[in-house]
Amino acid sequence: MTGQTASTLGASLRYEFRMQFRKRSVWIVPALTVALFLLIGGSLLRDLFDPGERPAEARSAVVGLAVQVHALLSIGYGCLLADRLIRDDGLRVAPILDATPARPGARLAGKYLGAGAATAVPILAVYFGLAAAYAVHTGAPHALGWALATCAVVIVPGLLFVAAFALTVPLIMPAPLFRVIFVGYWLWGNVVAPDMMPTLARTLIHPLGGYPLDALLDFHGIDGDDTLAGPVPGATLNVLRPDPTPATAWLSIAVLLVLAAAALAGGHAVRARRA
Amino acid sequence: MTLWWYEARRAGWAALLGPPIAVTLGVSAAFANPQPGDTTTARILLGALEMAVPLAAGVGCASLVGRDPAVELQLAAPTPYRVTLLRRMAVTLAWAAMVAGLTAAVLIATGWWARWPANHGPFAGQLTWAAPTVGLGAVGFAAGAVFRSPAAAGALVTTLWTIQQFFAEPAQQHLPGRLLYLFATTRGAVPGDWTGNRLALLGTAATLVALTLVLLARSERLIGEEEE
Repeated sequence: MTGQTASTLGASLRYEFRMQFRKRSVWIVPALTVALFLLIGGSLLRDLFDPGERPAEARSAVVGLAVQVHALLSIGYGCLLADRLIRDDGLRVAPILDATPARPGARLAGKYLGAGAATAVPILAVYFGLAAAYAVHTGAPHALGWALATCAVVIVPGLLFVAAFALTVPLIMPAPLFRVIFVGYWLWGNVVAPDMMPTLARTLIHPLGGYPLDALLDFHGIDGDDTLAGPVPGATLNVLRPDPTPATAWLSIAVLLVLAAAALAGGHAVRARRA
Repeated sequence: MTLWWYEARRAGWAALLGPPIAVTLGVSAAFANPQPGDTTTARILLGALEMAVPLAAGVGCASLVGRDPAVELQLAAPTPYRVTLLRRMAVTLAWAAMVAGLTAAVLIATGWWARWPANHGPFAGQLTWAAPTVGLGAVGFAAGAVFRSPAAAGALVTTLWTIQQFFAEPAQQHLPGRLLYLFATTRGAVPGDWTGNRLALLGTAATLVALTLVLLARSERLIGEEEE
């Protein structure tokens, strides 16, 4: 990487981060989601502080919390990022930016990392806030260690995957249509039972992180009787569901990151052809 | 008529393409079932109407405010801008209703409708899609007017939809939750509450639209640099 590219990346990352971080809706949407979560009940957000309802083990509690927070707040995350790249065209600043010596690829990478990180701040604040409150409440400081580990192997790869598609897919379809299809995909590709219809759930391409949850964090559902990855008898696409081991878990993370990079490269190519 | 065609085009491609794509994906999901069971397939088919169509219509309605590049011109026109927005919402919902109604007719004609035990008949049963479509559409329209940002309003609609999918049981533990549950036909906990639920959704939608129109009357809120 040349110095010029690195400084373009750093500058656009910082600028995009600040711009998104100060946007009100980036904070309002997660706040409303958490309010809805609490209103409906039945989630770990409330049960974590109820000795009769919470999982016995600190690890199951904080990893389970991560699954629920990730499954739900990622929806708003993807929807909020969907207008970031096409916005440059909408505001007609893209040609001006293209006329600068800053390379478009580095600007795209900076936008991806900066806007993605800023939109993730409220999600991580909710997660670590609750995990810390739980650790204090139960006197189990190691819960925070599990929270950090879960964040690193489940939430961050999942969000990087979502952010790449949320930025680039709206280049080829209207952003609202992307939001509809993204939510349909999120439900279908994460939680649909594989013996009900062909789905990417429980495969290596699972942004909810079935393989790392199962093989790296030894998490088997909040009640401990669920499997989140691996083959399902009679299901299609079992070829994408090897047995969960630490190696396949890292492979699953790598697959998500490679697909994210491919989406960004595709978006870059589409923009380059239009310019 | 020209005016309505114009408003249909201004509602955007997403409002036009959303419902048919949603129905197509739902129907393909139903028939891609590797373990065929008529009841499950029928449930997914009705689910396409009760879940996928409202989602598409809801996000469509959430994307109406904040689309016009020169909103000052709209505000200066003899037709109040909120009436224009209401027309676009009506066009969005009417198109979703047309797609859903045709799909429902095909399902009734082919017998799939009757294979889901909780189908509520061919006439009142149309509330299967009508009530959640209008309900989620009104939520989207209201959120769009409050946030003035299609991104935030769309995020709220999709989150509300998803939370009711993921937490179907806890959402229906209490009567208010059951009355406002969007998917009472295919995932309803208490079948006896169905009619009440459908009417409650329509009533809530009417209230939300009325409140939104009051809010949109404050036109100075609609003028701004870029909507947050």
